[in-house]
Amino acid sequence: MELSRRTLLAGGFAAMLGGTVVGCSSSMDTGSTKKNAGGNIALWCWPGGLGKSVLDDTIAHFPDQHIKYSEIGGDFKQKLLTTFNGGTSIPDITGVKGEDIASLLPQATNRFVDLKTIGADSILGDYLEWKVKQATTLDGKVIGIPIDIGPTALFYREDIFTAGGLPGDPAKVAEQLKTWDDFLAAGLELRKANPKAPIVADAVDLYGTIISQGTSRYIDKDNKFVGDQDHIRKAWDIAVKAITTKVDGKTLGGSPDWNAGLDQGTVPTVTGAAWVALDIKAACKTSVGKWRVAPTPSGPANFGGSFLTITKSAADPAAALEVIKYMLSADNQAKAFADAQIFPSAPAAYDKPQLKAADPFFGGQVPIEVFGPAAKSIPIAYEAPLDGAVAVPFSDGLKLVQAGKKTSDAAWAEAVSKAKQIGKRQGVQ
Amino acid sequence: MRWRGLVLHGLLAIAGILCLFPFYWTLVMATNSTSDIYRFPPKFTFGSQFDDNVRAVLENVAFFQSMGNTLVVAVSTTALVLFFDSLAAFTFAKFRFPGRNVLFVILLATMLLPAQLGAVPQFQTMAAFGWVGSLKALIIPAAANAFGIFWLRQYFQNSIHDELVEAATLDGCGFLGVYRHVALPSARPALAFLGIFTFVASWNDYFWPLIVLTNPDHLTLQVALSSLNRSHGVDYSMVMTGALMAMVPLIIVFTIFARQFIKGATEGAIRG
Amino acid sequence: MTLTAAAPPKQAPRTANAGRRRSIWSYWRFYLALSPFYLIFLVFGLYPVASTILLAFQKWDGLGPRTMVGFQNFGFLIEDSTFWLALWNTIVLFFMSTMPTLAIAMALAVMLHSAVRLKGVYRIAYFIPNITSLVAAAIFFAAVFSTNFGLINAALRGLGLPTEDWLGEPWGIKIAISTMIVWQWTGYNTIIYLAGLQAIPTEQYEAAKMDGAGPLRTFFSITLPQLRPVVLFTVIMSTIGGLQTFTEPQVMVGNNGGTGQSGMTVVMYFYNQAFFNNDYGYAGAIALSIFVLVLLFTAINWKLLGGRGRS
Repeated sequence: MELSRRTLLAGGFAAMLGGTVVGCSSSMDTGSTKKNAGGNIALWCWPGGLGKSVLDDTIAHFPDQHIKYSEIGGDFKQKLLTTFNGGTSIPDITGVKGEDIASLLPQATNRFVDLKTIGADSILGDYLEWKVKQATTLDGKVIGIPIDIGPTALFYREDIFTAGGLPGDPAKVAEQLKTWDDFLAAGLELRKANPKAPIVADAVDLYGTIISQGTSRYIDKDNKFVGDQDHIRKAWDIAVKAITTKVDGKTLGGSPDWNAGLDQGTVPTVTGAAWVALDIKAACKTSVGKWRVAPTPSGPANFGGSFLTITKSAADPAAALEVIKYMLSADNQAKAFADAQIFPSAPAAYDKPQLKAADPFFGGQVPIEVFGPAAKSIPIAYEAPLDGAVAVPFSDGLKLVQAGKKTSDAAWAEAVSKAKQIGKRQGVQ
Repeated sequence: MRWRGLVLHGLLAIAGILCLFPFYWTLVMATNSTSDIYRFPPKFTFGSQFDDNVRAVLENVAFFQSMGNTLVVAVSTTALVLFFDSLAAFTFAKFRFPGRNVLFVILLATMLLPAQLGAVPQFQTMAAFGWVGSLKALIIPAAANAFGIFWLRQYFQNSIHDELVEAATLDGCGFLGVYRHVALPSARPALAFLGIFTFVASWNDYFWPLIVLTNPDHLTLQVALSSLNRSHGVDYSMVMTGALMAMVPLIIVFTIFARQFIKGATEGAIRG
Repeated sequence: MTLTAAAPPKQAPRTANAGRRRSIWSYWRFYLALSPFYLIFLVFGLYPVASTILLAFQKWDGLGPRTMVGFQNFGFLIEDSTFWLALWNTIVLFFMSTMPTLAIAMALAVMLHSAVRLKGVYRIAYFIPNITSLVAAAIFFAAVFSTNFGLINAALRGLGLPTEDWLGEPWGIKIAISTMIVWQWTGYNTIIYLAGLQAIPTEQYEAAKMDGAGPLRTFFSITLPQLRPVVLFTVIMSTIGGLQTFTEPQVMVGNNGGTGQSGMTVVMYFYNQAFFNNDYGYAGAIALSIFVLVLLFTAINWKLLGGRGRS
């Protein structure tokens, strides 16, 4: 009996150890450049990431490449990372979401092809410079061609604005709501006329928008924490002002209250990227034609917008680049916009008829007249790989202020110290 | 007595309504359009959009193909679990052999390991076996589990008398013969419970299939349906319709086997 | 029912336990019968979790090289207030969901046991939440608890009571999450208890009735002691499940756990560190802590309820 137990345990331990060694060696092999079989191109993206007609057209346009498209549901980045680690069935071309690109840049040399080395120089100029920059490493490698962008605008309810004594016409709204201070002042006025329509949907959301309007974020290029500095504190204070002057609706974007409020007028404005129009349209039934679009107060920001990248496993990177070039040409971007509101990253597309169309949902307004200029003047900010993680304590802190659980100063101090601690764990000074 | 019965059934019925209400609401949403979901006061009556919603689901996902895959996974997992677990449980319950207690303690301890924690290395193991994207990656790791062995062992210990095992052995039955002629017939209710439990868990499994299934032809229902849940402009009625359609086979399976389970459990009680 | 593994079977069949000492190889059938589970567990259970735990002593971003860092991750863990908060949330959520689940399940099972009609219908109704898709349930409960348009606030308003910003308040978030868990698991436990109740010999109840015991006394003096192993089983299963709560808060209040991170559980924190921050080493340290937590709670349960559990 003793013998059997010991044998079993020893056997188990050996199996475990063996497994561990195998696991380590496969993942230690970081520069895995095992090529996929030639003659095929495996393409990965998430649901709704690429326009369907453009995709079908591209597959038909390159019959010799046998493009095999996989739509990956769920957490895309997680699946991509695990596949990289697994070392098999790595796609040749893969989409990378805008919010994930910064954290993947450190891996640029190991996992992705520098597109400049295979002749992408000639087309990089066709895309918005700030967007290409997001996929550029500090030493100048470019790993992705932008699929789309997410320039922001102020979506608002014309009927509620005019009933509340504010201008209704987009040009006049742009005129009066130049800055966030103007916006909050207008909110006070609106509150007097209509207390059920707070002009800010969610102050925490507003804070995120203001941060994205700036040219620096939480960590600078030298890997120094700057989240305790003025540019962040100013954004924080504006959000707190929205809370204390009671023009904050505390309505989380995407929640049932938000969706219901859009249609019923308790969420009269949304500051969001072009694609938020899809959410608004899905939620609204009775308020069709009452929405308008105006420029974002204090200037445009960008939310999301993704890239197509070529992995080191690609059998024929040059052929893969040809596919990307075709799929993301200005003409095809305009088609993708018509298909699924995928907002073009190539400015030449803004002149195409698909984008010039008037939208009855926005009362016949032509949204590109607001989004086009916004897209071209997005500020360029360095986004450190750890930026997303460090931002969390700040939005959490604001939520506590919003819920009345903490004063602004106490929440701020706690957010700064938590953010520093997260940074410290990853070597940020 | 009459009043007591009324109160009893009243309470039981309230609990039943609370349990069924979200399901009813899913039905309501599947027959309405997305913007109806957010109306106030909320809508509680059936609408007329069901056909449209079903059509939208079928257009957006390979529903029947995914259902076929899910069926393959759920049926094979359940069959393997019932076989392996009952065999192991019977061995633990009715036989003595060196290392038995140690092995059983190890078995109990395995239930304490949270499985989600190993997702990354587990994926690497799958990649090493070349199973990524294949349904094998779902079936094999789930083919035997500690919960089932534990559950069935309890049952075997109580419902099968040792004399029965002895008698069968004296009749010339080998180990497998005793298992087939004595253990299996008497364990039907317990197997029905474990079967339902395994089938449902396998059918609704989401976390692991989402990670390991990459081939679009080999998606299970829950993973295929997750692509309806896009990040923007989600058509919730369509999502609800998809969820409802995915539940139908489960309800059928459960209704059929619940009878067996009820009957069996009562039988077991009388005999025990 | 016997729950203690160490207890030897009272009368093991002589055939399988013949007097003379047998070679270990003569038991091969039994080992073969047990092998599938242990093989699967080694390859797909123990190895992955062990290598995650090994990560606790390393620094790894998921793609680059791994470096050994000793106990550094644990040092960070001790200083990390979010980790302690997540631990607290997990334990509070565990109590808030498990206790009502098991208490209601027991009450329903006892009532169902004494009801004669419609037993099958109730049983199916109670099991429906367990097979409802989590996505549908999450959308439903988010709607039920929403501030302006939610059913609960509508009911409070109807009764003239003040409304609550459920999903924006730390405690509201916990209540909403545990409600969903209670809803999903009560029926399942009811059925297990019911199966246990049906196994109690009716003579015992008749004897109690002859003694003039009321329903409450019968419950505490006969039903509960007889059900002890079943209760222990459900408590342990709920402990293991409850301490690993992940999906419900994630779908209801998002990856960061909502206001004050009140819905952030330890497994969610693990998930965030691994898959969002790509800090796999730190995630490994959290994983180890979850394992210790589960072990601790199971030991406590075993001590509290196990004891005299041998029949």
